[in-house]
Amino acid sequence: MPNLGELAAYLVGLVTGAIGASSMRLGAASTVATLVVLLALLSLIARPGARWTAADLGGLSRVGRVMALAAESGADATVSLGSAGIGRAASAIDRFQTLAALPLLGHVADAAARAGVPLRVTTNDAVAALFARATLAGAHQRTATPERASAAAVEYVGEGRPAAAAFALATAQPHGVAMVAGSLGEEAMLLLDGVLGDAEWSLAATASASQTAGPLLSGDGTLTGPELFQAAGDLGPAGHARTAVLAANQLIWAAVGILLAGSLITWAGGPQVAAFLTGR
Amino acid sequence: MRRTILAGIVLVTGLVVLLDLLIVNPSLGDAAGAVNELLVLLAAAAAVGGGATLVAHHARNLAAGDGDSIGSVVLLLGMAAVLVAGLRPGSSGSADPAVLWLIAALLAPIAASLFALLFIFVLGAIRRGFVLRVRETSLMAAAAAVVIVLLLPLGGQAGDWLAAGAGWVRDVPLAGVFRGLLIGIGILVAVGAARSLLALDRDDD
Repeated sequence: MPNLGELAAYLVGLVTGAIGASSMRLGAASTVATLVVLLALLSLIARPGARWTAADLGGLSRVGRVMALAAESGADATVSLGSAGIGRAASAIDRFQTLAALPLLGHVADAAARAGVPLRVTTNDAVAALFARATLAGAHQRTATPERASAAAVEYVGEGRPAAAAFALATAQPHGVAMVAGSLGEEAMLLLDGVLGDAEWSLAATASASQTAGPLLSGDGTLTGPELFQAAGDLGPAGHARTAVLAANQLIWAAVGILLAGSLITWAGGPQVAAFLTGR
Repeated sequence: MRRTILAGIVLVTGLVVLLDLLIVNPSLGDAAGAVNELLVLLAAAAAVGGGATLVAHHARNLAAGDGDSIGSVVLLLGMAAVLVAGLRPGSSGSADPAVLWLIAALLAPIAASLFALLFIFVLGAIRRGFVLRVRETSLMAAAAAVVIVLLLPLGGQAGDWLAAGAGWVRDVPLAGVFRGLLIGIGILVAVGAARSLLALDRDDD
């Protein structure tokens, strides 16, 4: 029967073995620097009350009023979550902009739900569509307006940045409130013009440095560069965790369905669906 | 409790990926690889779900006679063409010549022609910008005019001066503004990611 000393020796051997089988990918200095920056950052933001408060970024405080005006005039509201998505092949910063846009969507959705204004959200990424749907559901739950949930819709417009721009131009019409928030690429002007167009009030927000001019030229309210993340933090994304849970649940059920269907198709001698979907 | 579990999962997976970035270890690499494989599977499942929703939406539009019927028909036919090319018996999937032809001969030119509209839309945006905020737009238009002058295709001494001026504008003020923006974005991204990772944002409803 092994004694405590043998167990300790085994654990020490396990750890030293794991360390011995490892090496630093970036070198000692870079690794230490990364960890120090990370620790400093975490200690900074983990303090209670460490919330950035600022001026009325992007004129977000006006959303409630302009939504009420839209309700009076019978207009609708539309939101585009940019063109990078969450599950698409884009850079991490681009995709994180879509996540940062969700609190803004929640803010607009809250106002739309209270005012009874139909809200349509468009995105070119199916994962972002799931998150947006969960955000809208959360807004109707927060505002206790489940009877108005059918007036809010999320529309997946197809894959690719050109698809987002083309859809926006093809469906351009006057809106009461219009917002584009998220990453933008070279299609920025097309998307902004198609979505914001002749809206009574519009907000354009992106942290894509190369497309900063687009929001400045197109939106009544603008959030450029770091302001997109700052505004999202200022709003206090209520229901953040629940949004992720709802979206994750839908994804898991979809994955199970795909696994079963793909297995049955392959078993029946059909094409390799999984290989086609993942491009392998 | 649900929030704690979710935050725990996010924290553990995030740390695994972060440690794999810093440390070369076969076991850690396998774990991070498994997480990435799961993400690919989830993204593929969501893409299929999104595609099915798109088909259902436009099929419903066609059945009800709502919206742009021609657009719905074109979209459904386009999706059908790509799916048939990629999934027909004997096809090599996304690398099949028929799929590649559809992309190169149809999708790429359509996207290029769409982007060719940018020049017109930029002019329209500048006009709208003057209505929204005169001062900022005037500044941007003036800067754009200066850059256009600097990039004029002139030869001789004047051309050299202009080219040197264009290089200075690109390397000093433009690069400075871009670096400032990127540093700010990087910091806020790190803060936002850490807040999400640690579930620090208030869940007050």
